[in-house]
Amino acid sequence: MATIYSHPGSTWRKNLPRFWQYLILSLFVVLIFVPIVILIFGSLKTRGEMYSRPYTLPVPPRWENYGRILGMASFWTMLRNSLLVMLGATGGVVLICSLAAFVFARTDFRGKGLTFNLLTLGLMFPINVAILPVYLVLRQMGLTNNLWGIIVVQVAFQISGNILILRGFFAAVPVELQDAAYIDGCTTFDFFWRILLPLARPALSAVAALTMVASWNDLLVPLVLIDKDTLWTLPLGTMQFQGQYGQDLNMVAAFVTLSAVPAVLFYIFAERQIVSGLTAGALKG
Amino acid sequence: MSRNFFPLISIVLIAAFVLSACAPAAAPTAAPQPTQAPAAQPTQAPAKPTEAPRPTAVPQPTAAPKVKIAWWHITTADNQKVVWQKLADEYMKAHPNVTIEITVLENEAFKTKMTTVMQSGQPPDIFQSWGGGVMNAYATAGLLKDITADLDANGSAWRNTFSPGALGVYAYKGKNYGVPWDMGMVGFWYNKALFAKAGIDKPPATWSELLDDVKKLKAAGITPIALGEGDKWPGAFWWEYMAVRVGGQAAFDAAQSRKGAFTDQPFVDAGKKLQELVALKPFQAGFLGATWGDEATAMGNGKAAMDLMGQWAPGAFNDNSPDKKGIGDNLAWFPFPAVEGGAGAATDALGGGNGFALGKNAPPEAVDFVKYLTRAESQVQCAQAGFCVPVVKGGEAGLTDPLLKLVQQGAAAAKYFQLYYDQYLPPAMGSVVNDSVQGIFAGTLTPEKAAQALEDSAKKELK
Amino acid sequence: MQTTLPGQSALGTQQTRFRRRALDNLTFALFLAPALVVFLTFVVYPILQSVYYSLFNWKGFGPAVDWVGLDNYVSILSDQIFMKAVGNGLLIVVLSLVIQLPMSLALALMVGRDLPGRAFFRTIFFMPYVISEVITAIMWLGLYNPDPERGFFNALLVLIPGVNAQAWLGDTSQVMACLFVVLTWKYFGLHMLLYMAGLQNIPAEIEEAARIDGANRRQLLGYITLPLLGGTIRTSVYLSVIGSLQQFILVWIMTKGGPVNASEVMATYMYRFGFVRFWLGYGCAVALVMFLICLAFSVVYQRLARQPDYLGGV
Repeated sequence: MATIYSHPGSTWRKNLPRFWQYLILSLFVVLIFVPIVILIFGSLKTRGEMYSRPYTLPVPPRWENYGRILGMASFWTMLRNSLLVMLGATGGVVLICSLAAFVFARTDFRGKGLTFNLLTLGLMFPINVAILPVYLVLRQMGLTNNLWGIIVVQVAFQISGNILILRGFFAAVPVELQDAAYIDGCTTFDFFWRILLPLARPALSAVAALTMVASWNDLLVPLVLIDKDTLWTLPLGTMQFQGQYGQDLNMVAAFVTLSAVPAVLFYIFAERQIVSGLTAGALKG
Repeated sequence: MSRNFFPLISIVLIAAFVLSACAPAAAPTAAPQPTQAPAAQPTQAPAKPTEAPRPTAVPQPTAAPKVKIAWWHITTADNQKVVWQKLADEYMKAHPNVTIEITVLENEAFKTKMTTVMQSGQPPDIFQSWGGGVMNAYATAGLLKDITADLDANGSAWRNTFSPGALGVYAYKGKNYGVPWDMGMVGFWYNKALFAKAGIDKPPATWSELLDDVKKLKAAGITPIALGEGDKWPGAFWWEYMAVRVGGQAAFDAAQSRKGAFTDQPFVDAGKKLQELVALKPFQAGFLGATWGDEATAMGNGKAAMDLMGQWAPGAFNDNSPDKKGIGDNLAWFPFPAVEGGAGAATDALGGGNGFALGKNAPPEAVDFVKYLTRAESQVQCAQAGFCVPVVKGGEAGLTDPLLKLVQQGAAAAKYFQLYYDQYLPPAMGSVVNDSVQGIFAGTLTPEKAAQALEDSAKKELK
Repeated sequence: MQTTLPGQSALGTQQTRFRRRALDNLTFALFLAPALVVFLTFVVYPILQSVYYSLFNWKGFGPAVDWVGLDNYVSILSDQIFMKAVGNGLLIVVLSLVIQLPMSLALALMVGRDLPGRAFFRTIFFMPYVISEVITAIMWLGLYNPDPERGFFNALLVLIPGVNAQAWLGDTSQVMACLFVVLTWKYFGLHMLLYMAGLQNIPAEIEEAARIDGANRRQLLGYITLPLLGGTIRTSVYLSVIGSLQQFILVWIMTKGGPVNASEVMATYMYRFGFVRFWLGYGCAVALVMFLICLAFSVVYQRLARQPDYLGGV
């Protein structure tokens, strides 16, 4: 691209638009950070300081606020519950969706189109809309107040999107590879497990990353299914904490900041997977 | 990046195992403690909970089976929930086979949780109740334990300790399902210093005087009234009190028994009078979205001059101030003013209190524990901690706060004592009252339409 | 996509192929089973069951016995508050399409294909997406506090002489705008990401060729870039609309649909009737109405948006 603009007089012209671009982009960066920074500032103050000087830099920073939150046994219980649910849901989604996507990608059978359309119907019945009917079903099954209930619902509502993503990837694996495997004596399952899955690792990571984010941040399903406070997940606990300690602004800020840390850390490590999962899913429809 | 991903997964897996192994199952008491609770936080009364002389320990059966009692209450202020905890500890010490698990919940969270837990049909053994229509709905669904026999035992020994009016709130169709431990009335808590600053030398005795005072406060740059209308029930107090003043007992009884209607003139007029107040814009900025917690914070920080609230208000004001002292000596109280031309008496009271209801599966030990909680000595301790206006004979000895004494005297003197509509009437009607009144405050509903909404609901619910 | 069953490649006898085919069919059935079972039990069956319950007046205690037929639906469609909820949902949709998407697109174009620091910007702009809605809502609740001593926006606002503190979330006319700002903060990074990925897919040669032919910036944008981004834009619009229609958590935590139903959306309406008042029959009816609206939109959208996609995408 730079070859076209290679005469001297235009360097200034090229850089000026660049300058404005960076300015605007930086402005947006600031806008994104302002709420987060204010939250962090708030979390490092005492209650009194929150009333008198809410926006200044916290001096001295009251790290003990974090200490108090981390010292609450319930915080760790919530963390544990969120982790268990996330692992369960992610494992379930990756396994179930890769099995199903394999079938859609590599075989043909009567009713395949119909079944596939049925599954994509799920994209139009998002959990926010379905939550009341789903609650009724889970209540009838006795799965309320049970982490497995949350896991199973989260898995169910992630199936459609992830099968779509994985189907695209699986379909790209050449048929010759599969034929070669069969000639060598592989069963279908062998082919799936030993050859296809390792090849599809990037896709699986993407699906896993997306599911982990969605599950970790999920509030609605635990809110509706869980009563017992020993089973609260972190988002639910955050909401309850704010509802109860709402006037202790500094402690609420500290709790919220701490509960955001795992998600942000995960994002830093797994950004590429999340991004590729979203774009693959979106662009392939 | 994807190289980091799988090690990350392993770390996460390891963390999960470690956490599942060592995170202790949080006992309900370790759950985040709530702050606001309309059940009872009157002033930081000089709280030297005198160690009331312990009654002789109840003789135990030697090999008593282990019993667990689940108790949900909403007394969230730090200095007050310790009283309940202490009583539970004493009881557990005297009855080693009994374990009492306390869950402390904030008011709104409690209401939400009760709805879901009642849906599941497994109520806790002892829980906070305001009596009235809500409790009646639970009783009809068979979710409560009938304790009439326990109250009548030994020649009504337990029953006679309670003030009959208060006990009656927890009875339905002749059967008792709960007992009260607090009964008070709603009134105006105000900041004497702010009143003085606006040049008001004594609290208003009539509605027009109140409106005048509001104008004076506004002129002095002070927010006249704190109101957390986002929660809806604080505003309902205003309308309900107005209905009490304008229509008196006659109007309400007529409407409720269906001989009259909620669209009768007094109810419409109540809304109109309220509109007079709203037109003066006396509330703090953003009041339509504010919570009860915000309301208490405004009063506790001296940012608003008055607040129409129940007997738990001072405790909340203090709890929500930076130094936990609230506005100290500047807090004072006056009853809802008389309304000129109203059919109700100036002594009529709107109020309510708190009590314990027992779930259908509660063991007999739970009933025994509730008896322990409602002894005169227990009531004295609660009163001294400043969060209840006692209802048991002998409990008043603990009532040291002069403001709470005013509240108690007002409640005792009322010939017509109306329980808050959203507890007294069936639950469906309660939410209609709260929603409609919010409409009046926001200017989106006329008094006529608000009354009509209530009447429509009454037709369905009060067959 | 294979059309021959695996067993048909050059192997052994008819017998072996038969056995293999049966075995493979079994394998495929087993592979598909978990997904189908979970999907049917927890996605399809609830829909069907809620059709049943929506025909009753049922408060959740005990079995449903009070048959009311289509009364629930009639009440919903004649309820002013529900209409307001639908209106608010449409408002969010329109605002998103008119403000949020063009903004994301513009930023994506600005960042382009090779702006130095591109990865940094992408990371920052996308971060709000991974922060949960609960955290976002609580964070912004603090910023929107009407008390100038506690709410950041009012604190800044009152510094300007003559300007009063605003009620923000407590003001019936400002609340939707305030919520929209939060939604934009959270989600514009997602759309920008999609557009950036879409831009990546445009072969550089096409742009080179256009420039050599003398196209200026605007022509490049209008005739090359935007049409080639067509598929991505369609996906982004679709996600945005569906997402806007089913917003719940952010609204519920920040305003619960208030004040006085000013920020009511369909999902908060359903939650209030279903889980707060436990009018389960009515709530199921609301859920179905919402589902039908989303379904209708999806179907219409598929029809309308069926244009040739030059890149061979969706």
